Amino acid sequence: MSSMTFGRYSFRNTFIHNLDARNKIFLMLLFMVGIFFQFNMWSTALIMSGVYIVILLALMLISRVSLWSLIKSLGGLWMLVIFLMIIYIFVPTNNPKLPVAFTIGSLEVHWDAFCQAGYIVMRLILMISLTMILTSTTKPMDMTYAFEWYMTPLKPIRFPVHEIAMTLSIALRFIPTLLDETERIMKAQASRGVDFNHGGIFKRFGAIIALIIPLFVSALERSEELANAMIVRGYDPRAKRTRYRLLRFSWRDIIAFLFIGGIFAGIIVMFVFDRKNPIDIVEFFFHVKGF
Amino acid sequence: MSKLEIKNLSFSYDGSNKVIDDISFSVEKGTFVSVLGHNGSGKSTLAKLIVGLLDKAGGQIFFNDVEITEKNLKDLQTKTSLIFQNPDNQFIGSTVEDDIAFGLENRCFPHDQMQAEVERFADSVNMLDHLKKEPINLSGGQKQRIALAGALILRPEILILDEATSMLDPKGKSTVRKVIDRIHKENKELTIISITHDIDEALLSDKVLILNKGKLVKEGKPQDILRDESALLEVKLDMPFVYKIEKELKEIGINSNAETIDQLVEDIWASK
Repeated sequence: MSSMTFGRYSFRNTFIHNLDARNKIFLMLLFMVGIFFQFNMWSTALIMSGVYIVILLALMLISRVSLWSLIKSLGGLWMLVIFLMIIYIFVPTNNPKLPVAFTIGSLEVHWDAFCQAGYIVMRLILMISLTMILTSTTKPMDMTYAFEWYMTPLKPIRFPVHEIAMTLSIALRFIPTLLDETERIMKAQASRGVDFNHGGIFKRFGAIIALIIPLFVSALERSEELANAMIVRGYDPRAKRTRYRLLRFSWRDIIAFLFIGGIFAGIIVMFVFDRKNPIDIVEFFFHVKGF
Repeated sequence: MSKLEIKNLSFSYDGSNKVIDDISFSVEKGTFVSVLGHNGSGKSTLAKLIVGLLDKAGGQIFFNDVEITEKNLKDLQTKTSLIFQNPDNQFIGSTVEDDIAFGLENRCFPHDQMQAEVERFADSVNMLDHLKKEPINLSGGQKQRIALAGALILRPEILILDEATSMLDPKGKSTVRKVIDRIHKENKELTIISITHDIDEALLSDKVLILNKGKLVKEGKPQDILRDESALLEVKLDMPFVYKIEKELKEIGINSNAETIDQLVEDIWASK
């Protein structure tokens, strides 16, 4: 559990770490929107997926987020991946463009179903990876300030902007602590004979209860003590506060904006081109037919 | 002049069972007071009442001869700091520097002076090299020193330590104690109230208060109170290690009135 790095900020002096949190959030959302553009031709989708993966790997390299830690974090998603695969494979495809892969009785399963499932899983992984890059390169406090900044227009209607941002920041700050706590409780319960890894669904459910209840009790106790610690140090959500850390845009933010903005513009161009004049890019460039 | 005066203080969580029962005592400015008692004796509740985290059921709290009421509670809160037992539960910032600065942000301290102030107080607890670190990468002792810096940066007049060293390993305990001792020596105006189970730690304080079932059963100098073994046993407390050895030595004819291990060793050598 302690090996899980998802959501855990790690201090490094990289280009991405030094970007303004507001810019990082905006660019991440922009890239995510780009990823979700749907292309007509599978060949275009395949090529664009390759581009996204290359960009993601480049971002990971620049931010020095380890690929191995990403793979470990994604390990828990295999159930979801299998579920998505089954759904997409056995739901009949509208207007299939690829040949039939196999038939089950009267149901024809086209290669499109596999492509669609793979494409969805790839998008999911990309989204998680981008979020991971954001959280591991941005201090929770900076993230709070950024969200608060984005929600500023809601302040005049008395929307609890600061409270929401602070709650979010504390939630992010406590992820590693609660993961460690979970690991401790799992070990304590395992030493009393609770088996988290074997047995049927009911036995496993019982084991999870043995983990969840003490974890909730502990989290509630922690939250009370944290609230007391905040009050003692003069925190009042409605009072004015100064800030230790000020968010400032720099030349790095302009470069990052131009880079991701350029990619987004490229995605839109490809999308429009694909909609208006759908051609098989693989066939067009590599003269390979049938994809 | 008395800094903090408690008169007939009472408190109950459920309205019927008194956790704090008619307690009265006073704490002089600049003193180091230890509050002793077994689990459930009301020590932590007393700390929370002093800093206004709980509403008292009865009695009065005076700070610098001014009674604390709901109206001026904030004034008292700006002059007191409380450090809790578990260092993990009081770390608010994502890094050491963010956490130390948290209190300053709440007090609207000017941004351009914050960095210097944070560095100064991090240095005072020997944590200047760890400013960029996250709490998860610190030891318990280091986290508690950060909590100490975060409390001291608000320049409190009363610092309350609620079993601040009880969850630490011996090394962490020793470093935190050394820092607290140094801070107390350097800052003669700072009053420290230490809530503790550690009877040996209490021996080094100026005054000891012993709580039992919510009542204040003993109050006075540690040398007077902590030598009374039968009275301590009545409230389920043990004698300090030094006094226990002295008692054993007396039986073999070596007399000593030492307050520390070092003095005791000297007395033993002198008796040979």
